[in-house]
Amino acid sequence: MSGPVDPTLHTAALAALETAINRALALSPHSITGLAQLEDCVFALHCTSPAVKIYLHPGAQGIRLTGFHHGPVTTSIRGTAADFTELASAKDPAATLINGGLELEGDSAPLIELQHILAGLDMDWEAPLVDALGDVAGHQLAQVLRSAFAWGRQASASLTRQLEEFIHEEARLSPPRLEVEDFYRDVQELGVRVDRLESRTQRLRQRLQKLRD
Amino acid sequence: MSDKETTHFGYKEVDKDAKAGLVGDVFHSVAARYDLMNDLMSGGIHRIWKRFTIELSGVRKNNAVLDIAGGTGDLAARFAELVGPQGRIVLADINDSMLQVGRDKLLDQGRLANIEFVQADAQHLPFPDDSFDCVTIAFGLRNVTDIDLALRSILRVLKPGGRLLVLEFSKPRSALLSKAYDAYSFRVLPLMGRLVANDSDSYQYLAESIRKHPDQDTLKEMMEDAGFCEVEYHDMTGGIVALHRGIKA
Repeated sequence: MSGPVDPTLHTAALAALETAINRALALSPHSITGLAQLEDCVFALHCTSPAVKIYLHPGAQGIRLTGFHHGPVTTSIRGTAADFTELASAKDPAATLINGGLELEGDSAPLIELQHILAGLDMDWEAPLVDALGDVAGHQLAQVLRSAFAWGRQASASLTRQLEEFIHEEARLSPPRLEVEDFYRDVQELGVRVDRLESRTQRLRQRLQKLRD
Repeated sequence: MSDKETTHFGYKEVDKDAKAGLVGDVFHSVAARYDLMNDLMSGGIHRIWKRFTIELSGVRKNNAVLDIAGGTGDLAARFAELVGPQGRIVLADINDSMLQVGRDKLLDQGRLANIEFVQADAQHLPFPDDSFDCVTIAFGLRNVTDIDLALRSILRVLKPGGRLLVLEFSKPRSALLSKAYDAYSFRVLPLMGRLVANDSDSYQYLAESIRKHPDQDTLKEMMEDAGFCEVEYHDMTGGIVALHRGIKA
């Protein structure tokens, strides 16, 4: 009767993930307010590789994750772990949903709203640090952390840009995105022309056949 | 030959009328340290088992839920959040010491609005027919004198379409796990009970009562015989615990 994975492991993993997400959300009051507006929504995330099904219930207390849900689902999405990662980090989730490998059923608007909330997580480190260390030390440490995170984000963006330039322009290991898109457009156009030519040839063959008859 | 009906109390055979009192003594003795002992004995895994029970219960806003043998209120507290202020949770326990500990704990957590506390016997539930959307009994069914009677009583108070969830110790699937589990139950548990709760007999009873409890398939049949439909169960932690679910048609 039981599934391939012992429910104890599955449930423990969900509990740990839920705790981690809610700890982060607790430091971002703006996100919690947004989640409260999605309180009646249920999102079904069906990952095909690895095979995992998770139901996500947002609410004023954070996010609840379950492995089972009985009842209507607002939005159901299905895809691989890579597809979900792409959606989670997308700047334009609507475009990712349309062009990506995810299959979507139900209402996409609440899902896009949820993605915006989670992607825009802006954690306020100061409150827990002040609680633990006092006003002065907590504030100073929070400033240091904020600067460190800001520097980290900038450094990461800069490194990504430089790496991209090196791969595309210097080492020529991979063509730039625009070149690839041009190439695919040309291939697509060629495919369409070949199809047209094939139809014309077919029509001419049919006419020729008629003349012979 | 005695004409009195008997039942088991752990490995002992006792008069049917005496079992409830004996079980009552066990829980009067362990009530104060029940949560601590549960965490120690299971290494905290009982929280995962209960979480899975909540997931499978399908309880949602405005539902009415009865938590039988609710003890110190772990399930009731979570259900109270899920059903919201318009919902109804009844925490029932036959043992007044356990109920007292549960009530104090939930009051300390500020959970009052939608929880009722009722001292009740699972075999004779004091509620009208068709009262609840969901009934749960976690680690309580094996202590009930007449399990069939309790199942029929639960079926009566459930609304049509309502669910019963029975979380209970069961039979490990692997022979190796079974041996390790036996050694743990009969050697470590009573010792732990003596050191932490100053009561090794109650924890000896715990280990024995688990062995006397019906296995997964037998309990499934008992639920079907009582009138539940779509009965299914999920083994957890290799079958040490099983969660049975049945629906009232």
